[in-house]
Amino acid sequence: MDKDFINIVKTMLPKVDYCSMRFVNKYSNIINVTRNVLEPIIISEDEGVMITVFHNGGSGYGATSNLTKQGIQQAINSAVHWAEFSKEKLTYFPNLSEMKTQSGDYFTTEDKPWSQISMKDKTSFLMEINRALRSKSKITNWGAGIRYNSIETLFLDTNNSNIHQKISYLLPQMIVAAEHKKETQTRTFGGHAHARQTGYDIFDNINMIEKAKQLSEEAVELSQSPNCENKITQAVIAPDQMILQIHESIGHPLELDRILGDERNYAGSSFVKPDMFGNYIYGSKCLNVTFNPTIQSQLASCNFDDDGTNAEKQYLIKDGVLLRPIGGLFSSQRIDLDYVACSRASSWNRPPIDRMGNINLEPGENTFDQIISSVDDGIFLETNNSWSIDDKRNKFQFGCEKGTLIKNGKLTNVVKNPNYRGITENFWKNLSKVGDINTHKILGTSNCGKGEPNQTIFVGHATPTCLFNNVDVFGGV
Amino acid sequence: MKDYFKKISEFLFNQLNSSEVLILNFDAEQTDFVRFNKGKIRQAGNVNQINLIINLISKHKTLRTSTRLSADFNRDSKPLANILDFLRREIVELPNDPYLMYEKSQSSTNKTVQNNIDAYLITDAIVDKFKLLDMVGVLSSGNIIKGFSNSLGQRNWHESTSFNFDWSVYSKNGKAVKQNYSDQKWDQNIFDRLFSECTQKLHVIDYKEQKIIPGEYKVYLSPSALNEIIDMMSWGGFSYKANKIGSSPLHLMSKGEKELNKIVSFSENLTNGISPTFHSDGFIKPEKTNLIINGKYNKSLVSPRSSLEYSVKHNAAEYYESPVSIELEPGEIKTEEILTSLKDGIYLNNLWYLNFSDRNNGRITGLTRFGCFKVSNGEYVGPINTMRFDETIYNILGEKLIGLTDNQQLLMDSSTYEERSTYNSTIPGALVDSFKMTL
Repeated sequence: MDKDFINIVKTMLPKVDYCSMRFVNKYSNIINVTRNVLEPIIISEDEGVMITVFHNGGSGYGATSNLTKQGIQQAINSAVHWAEFSKEKLTYFPNLSEMKTQSGDYFTTEDKPWSQISMKDKTSFLMEINRALRSKSKITNWGAGIRYNSIETLFLDTNNSNIHQKISYLLPQMIVAAEHKKETQTRTFGGHAHARQTGYDIFDNINMIEKAKQLSEEAVELSQSPNCENKITQAVIAPDQMILQIHESIGHPLELDRILGDERNYAGSSFVKPDMFGNYIYGSKCLNVTFNPTIQSQLASCNFDDDGTNAEKQYLIKDGVLLRPIGGLFSSQRIDLDYVACSRASSWNRPPIDRMGNINLEPGENTFDQIISSVDDGIFLETNNSWSIDDKRNKFQFGCEKGTLIKNGKLTNVVKNPNYRGITENFWKNLSKVGDINTHKILGTSNCGKGEPNQTIFVGHATPTCLFNNVDVFGGV
Repeated sequence: MKDYFKKISEFLFNQLNSSEVLILNFDAEQTDFVRFNKGKIRQAGNVNQINLIINLISKHKTLRTSTRLSADFNRDSKPLANILDFLRREIVELPNDPYLMYEKSQSSTNKTVQNNIDAYLITDAIVDKFKLLDMVGVLSSGNIIKGFSNSLGQRNWHESTSFNFDWSVYSKNGKAVKQNYSDQKWDQNIFDRLFSECTQKLHVIDYKEQKIIPGEYKVYLSPSALNEIIDMMSWGGFSYKANKIGSSPLHLMSKGEKELNKIVSFSENLTNGISPTFHSDGFIKPEKTNLIINGKYNKSLVSPRSSLEYSVKHNAAEYYESPVSIELEPGEIKTEEILTSLKDGIYLNNLWYLNFSDRNNGRITGLTRFGCFKVSNGEYVGPINTMRFDETIYNILGEKLIGLTDNQQLLMDSSTYEERSTYNSTIPGALVDSFKMTL
């Protein structure tokens, strides 16, 4: 943002109890090559401002893509009008005296900036990956892509806060499908899991060509494999499935706005009740979960949330005991619980709500080999492809792309369509072993939907491989 | 706004050279959003946004970018000219697009429905009505505009004013009644009637909870519940490309190996005028495309890109090849006698969080939510506990389908991701035998 313009805009802040301005500039670039053909490239610039007003018992917001002085004034007027209108009609009005003046910044480090790699080089790389994905004759569909996003935010308020953050992240993606006897099986990389705050340097650490060949072989193998059988068994769950398990059955149920009922018409509520914090046994003693915005390159790392709260690492669950919710400053005031810096908005045109940031399962002490060798009869589950959970985040069912049977402590045959279902309140109590730092992966998903009006946001999850007992697994038709 | 779109169109088109074609997609809304919880306002505000997609085509190459506009020509014109320069610089680096296709026949259309909807008055009516109830939901109200222009002379415009109030009311036992009221004009009488229905249903959901255990049940799927199943079918089910590459949940149907019940006929039907009839590359969509006729797969939605990739004729489907205005033909079961027809079973008002548990075979899992009841001898017995189901499309709308109701319901999509949706569906209810509950 132009500094002179910002100085002019600051003089426009209305005389109210509290007002904030959140300018957002989002840049997105999506490049996909599918079956060796470059699809139309998507480049988008999304710029606008949200004005939020709290005044005299009312609150309102005005958001606009019209960044002229007149446009911003209209947004201010909308915010003030809604604040006047909502006086004495609000579910709650925040205690503004707890808001602090915050100043600071945050920038993602891009060792190889996205903008410095030519479009030609990026598309050539994706073409090369396509050729590697097509390495088997039974492959019926293949493709590779890269999604790059950069989100710059400037937050100003009547407390003289001034926060400047620029988060950029990259999501590499591959898909390959093989058909055998009219049955298609798919392997993917990246789709729901591998987003990181990084530049093009992400490809220095991932050998996409080798990975593509591996996925291609696995898709063919899966298409010829038997269905997963139905049984209650031990399940070793890889990080690229664990992140969905954490996201759906720990992250969402701990969101304080759900617990307070805001989401009951859409995303749902939670089985977690306010009186459970501090005493409820969420899982076995090896379950330790943190809200951690401090890990470099993790997807939702930052120094401040979108209400201007300073971001710090906090334990949500320690040694299996539930400690605190995922609730921002304003939500915590509604129920007198600890808060974390999780008030986030998808862009300038949506108001902040309670959101996961980086929700991480802390590593334990077991190597991958120790975990597998401890299982007499079980299954190793990799890569989420289906997720479903009830509106209180209790009864879940997940599907994975690949299952590998474990017999007498060794990985054996591959099975297709491995699904498993359970109940959150029981499932985490059956967490038996947590992998060490060598099994630990820093991952993240870019498409978490919630809120009315709806918002999609990116969240990070870091997790090791884990072993669970008494898991109800089953296969396809 | 229409004049502004014309002005920026002409500004950009005047800068083109003879070998260039430019396609513009204009997308704007002015919306008041009011979020409610516990019968009061949780968050309220106004969003004013304009988006423009600029697609440059030059010598079999294409490159597009989208940007926000202020609707102030002095502010927008320079960045727009810069974008055009950027597209020109970058497009030479790209390979030819073998599937590039855009409308060249100049099929201009215009549809404008403007009403005066006052979000403050509606909010007052809502807050007054629900002041003693635990209501949670969202009101979205205002203008939605979609425009198309290209440098070949085509102009299309679709503008409407509407509201969508989507809400649920909770009883003290944690059960809820879900409702929706969406239209182009607020009618207090309709709202009063919906409120009255809501309070009657609240009485029923306060009955003692009926514990359902895993097993197979005769169920009635309300239009809303059935719409969730049809949404899943639409994840590639009607897409020509998805059926070719095997990712369609209906690929066995499209290959003629499976059928649905003979009373099942689906179409993409745009005659209600809710969704724009023009494609993002300017093609005009047919008013009606018969997708499934009497249980047999008839036609897919084919995008212009797929038509070139697979050498078939397209029907102006967008590139995702999913229905935007799907219709399921009604059946013969009297809607008002549905409890008698169900007799003993479960009345499913809503389903939630569906996903595939075996996409190849069209098997779907999901959960019951909002106002689902056990019915005995044609009478409501009480609300059920949340249950997970796992069942195939071929059972639900095939072998185990008893019948469809004689009345359809128009369901407006209340989705507001990025922008307010113009999707809708027209669907009857369904009576299904042996519906499998698993958890």
